[in-house]
Amino acid sequence: MTSSNGTRLLSRNFALPGQANLDTALKRGAYEMLKRALKMKPEEVTTVVKASGLRGHGGAGFSAGMKWGFVPKDVFPRYVCVNADESEPGTCKDRLILEYDPHLLIEGALICAWAVQAERIYIYVRGEYFYPTRIVQRAIDEARAKGFVGENILGSGWSCHVHLGTGAGQYICGEETGLIESLEGKKGWPRLKPPFYPAAVGLWGKPTIVNNVETLAFVPRIIEIGAEKFLSYGTPKAGGPTLFSLSGSVNRPGVYELPTGVPLKTLIYDCGGGIKDGRRLKAVIPGGSSSHILTAEECENLKMDFESVVAAGSMLGSAAVMVIDETVSIPRLMVWMTRFYAHESCGQCTPCREGTGWLLRLATRILEGRGRRRDLDDLYELAENIDGKTICALGQAVAWPTKSYITKFRHEFEALIQE
Amino acid sequence: MPHLEINGKPVEVPAGTNLIEAARRLNIEIPHYCYHPGLAVVGSCRMCQVEVELNGRKSIVVGCNTAAADGMKVFNNTEAIHRIRSGVLEFYLQHHPLDCPICDDAGECDLQNYYLLHGLHDSRVELTEKHHKHKVHDVGPTVVLDSERCVLCSRCARFCREIAGVDELGIFEHGGDSELLNVPGRLLENDYAGNVVDLCPVGALTDKDFRFRRRVWYLKRTPSVCTGCSRGCNIYVDWETSRSYKNPQRRIQRLKPRYNRGVNEWWICDRGRYGYHAVDAENRLTAPRTKSDGESEATVDGVLDRAAEKIKAALAKHGPKSVAVIASSSSSNEDLFLLKRLFADELKVHSLDVTLSGEPKGKEDEILMKADVSPNRRGAVEIGVQPWGGGGVAGDDIVASALDGDYEVLIVVHHDLTRMLSQKERNRLGQNCDYILYLGTHENGMCHLADDVIPIAMWAERDATYTNFQGRVQRTWRPFEPRGEALCEWRVWQELGKRLGHSLPAESVAGVFDSIGTVVASFKGLTWEGLPANGIMLTGVSEPAYRKVQSSHPLPAY
Repeated sequence: MTSSNGTRLLSRNFALPGQANLDTALKRGAYEMLKRALKMKPEEVTTVVKASGLRGHGGAGFSAGMKWGFVPKDVFPRYVCVNADESEPGTCKDRLILEYDPHLLIEGALICAWAVQAERIYIYVRGEYFYPTRIVQRAIDEARAKGFVGENILGSGWSCHVHLGTGAGQYICGEETGLIESLEGKKGWPRLKPPFYPAAVGLWGKPTIVNNVETLAFVPRIIEIGAEKFLSYGTPKAGGPTLFSLSGSVNRPGVYELPTGVPLKTLIYDCGGGIKDGRRLKAVIPGGSSSHILTAEECENLKMDFESVVAAGSMLGSAAVMVIDETVSIPRLMVWMTRFYAHESCGQCTPCREGTGWLLRLATRILEGRGRRRDLDDLYELAENIDGKTICALGQAVAWPTKSYITKFRHEFEALIQE
Repeated sequence: MPHLEINGKPVEVPAGTNLIEAARRLNIEIPHYCYHPGLAVVGSCRMCQVEVELNGRKSIVVGCNTAAADGMKVFNNTEAIHRIRSGVLEFYLQHHPLDCPICDDAGECDLQNYYLLHGLHDSRVELTEKHHKHKVHDVGPTVVLDSERCVLCSRCARFCREIAGVDELGIFEHGGDSELLNVPGRLLENDYAGNVVDLCPVGALTDKDFRFRRRVWYLKRTPSVCTGCSRGCNIYVDWETSRSYKNPQRRIQRLKPRYNRGVNEWWICDRGRYGYHAVDAENRLTAPRTKSDGESEATVDGVLDRAAEKIKAALAKHGPKSVAVIASSSSSNEDLFLLKRLFADELKVHSLDVTLSGEPKGKEDEILMKADVSPNRRGAVEIGVQPWGGGGVAGDDIVASALDGDYEVLIVVHHDLTRMLSQKERNRLGQNCDYILYLGTHENGMCHLADDVIPIAMWAERDATYTNFQGRVQRTWRPFEPRGEALCEWRVWQELGKRLGHSLPAESVAGVFDSIGTVVASFKGLTWEGLPANGIMLTGVSEPAYRKVQSSHPLPAY
């Protein structure tokens, strides 16, 4: 929460007491931007968001305004789904928004719904988020009672209902089509693509905008300060700040709001207070457990925006930065990571269902000193056989880190292989 | 209509056709497990990945969920594709049991077939690492599941939901623990349950009726038509007679559906699927019988001679009114045509009919099953096997008149009148009818009531045509000879005709059918040689509008 160098745009009210209560939040300007947006034409709102350079903070980094523009003309009803199924290891930023400023999220979702003329908003909260779920539900009820949600919002003649749905504890329900299936009451199996975009065919086959919590929470701020100002908080290709979830071997782990494109060193050393116990930095996982690992050398001058991280060979993802010091064993990290994906694979398509468990078995065998020389090549080949061959991105989410761990830290694995 | 190229061969397909189906037109198989043309596309098996080049852009896509597009170039045989499929197969085989030698599906298993095409790799898995799941798990009264063999293609679960409209099978747990099982509290017991065995690409679901009976490579396959009801679903008869020590009484090993878009698509009901047991049942009639004095052993010729004499005598003494025929709509078009020629046209017998109100009825649904369990009622109507002229008497009245002693000779085909009569009436019928001739397939009350009995060949023992309720004429092919002395019904009428001095049209079933085509208006123009494998509509009857064979309350795709 501390931000030594931060812009407190989204998170400015986090630390203020009572922000989750509507009355308090109203005193600090909650729902003012909704009023302003309702005076604009829906297309104008989309244009502003497009111009702001706001990109999805859930992981893919897709332009939010562009996504809203994909909604086909004349197809109604339309829906907005708020993806609050935050489950990527290392990511913990949405939880803060849900707990500390739920009205900001509701306001952002309403502005989005207005922009795409949706009649219903579904906030899909991760099953394990019991406490945030209660807070969001209370916030929805308060907002409804005050007329910000429901029929004829603020006398505009436009109606939009907000519902809360919870997952049952599956990582895969954070995949947007898995989320939609789960909301429809089915098993959270991601849908086969094409159709590629829920914006065209989504919930119950209707146009649906699925956006991450953080993405939507930025929307009222864009209306407030304008697209140009918002853009200036980031890079020309990614406007606004980003909430970085900093974890691992740092002295002050936490969520930090910083301009997109901030140097990684600023995040680790200025905000995070440097590596724990003065150890040396070994590697960084820059965008949640699904991203390629970067060695200390690769991180040297890294800037934390989508393009720079991709150029360095990884991805910004959900901006969950995991700092790994010299004492951490990469093979152990691999077992931890593959265990997560093997457990969270939905089982729908073959490479992921069968492959993740196999990766875990091989990784465990190596870690336990029972590995064979060929296991490393097998690991790489199996990851290759999963990568890009699956229905959803979970396949590559396990394949990418696996391949990068083996390629960049092969010596650590080889040291464990006795044979 | 998009033009595309698959492996360099050009093909044109209707818009919306997927790549698997487009390739099928060129006899190119794109391997797949989860895809089935009759079920929703789920794209989960990942076997059907192909390389596609469109507008200069190359990509790898799943064939099942990619529509053919104009100018598309599809490659099914590249090194990259081979590697991908080999990788997917290795994932499938990781935990698959090594039990092909005892697996019923060996020989028709897509895991085996595709492994030979795209796998052939050495195993990288220790035997001790294999997962264990349910074995010999009863999912219902007719089907057994071996979960370890299951490739989780979900075809069976989708069939139950989309076609049968029931929620009986599902995939439970997740990730590597995923397992196909019964929906809690439900058994696989819908009327179409057997289809899941046909759909299963591996040996996970096996049919209790067939498992462990024959290795599939010993089976011979003959196309045929189900005679279980008036729909006439197209089927294959899988049969084997040479290895008789396995089960001398059983020649048909199983029936499998045969695709016919206008009749049954890819499915058959369980009533039809298991109905074949009647063909080799122990109570089959295999020899003629007689009550006649002084004859120790009945012969077909002897019975026919006596029947001819009796008919001749009755006609001479009392005229055509003294003879009645209760024919059957289970008989083929050829049988009924010769029967009608002999009795109505030549002998002028007015009292003939096929329908009795006491006939057994079956279950009817909107999927396939019809309540009318006879395969050829429409044929009987078209050919005109019904009371005619002034004094014609209909089915139920023939029985009533026979009880009153109005007939000297009563000929009954298939119908078991004794089941519709009380003991007292049965006695009366025996006493009041001078001569009863029964033509049947199985031991029943009529065999004891009738004076003479001629055993008749069953559907699987003969070439024949049947006209289904839509008016579609479909033929069967004979896999093997009739059991014992049983003979085809039309031969009985032909032989009887000879003895009565009437020469009926032909010596072969083809000839009989061709003469139907020259005589009966609705068969005009139809010839035996011209009968397509999937049947042909009667002249003047138009092909019914296409209707997807499925429950009227399908559940959404799994």
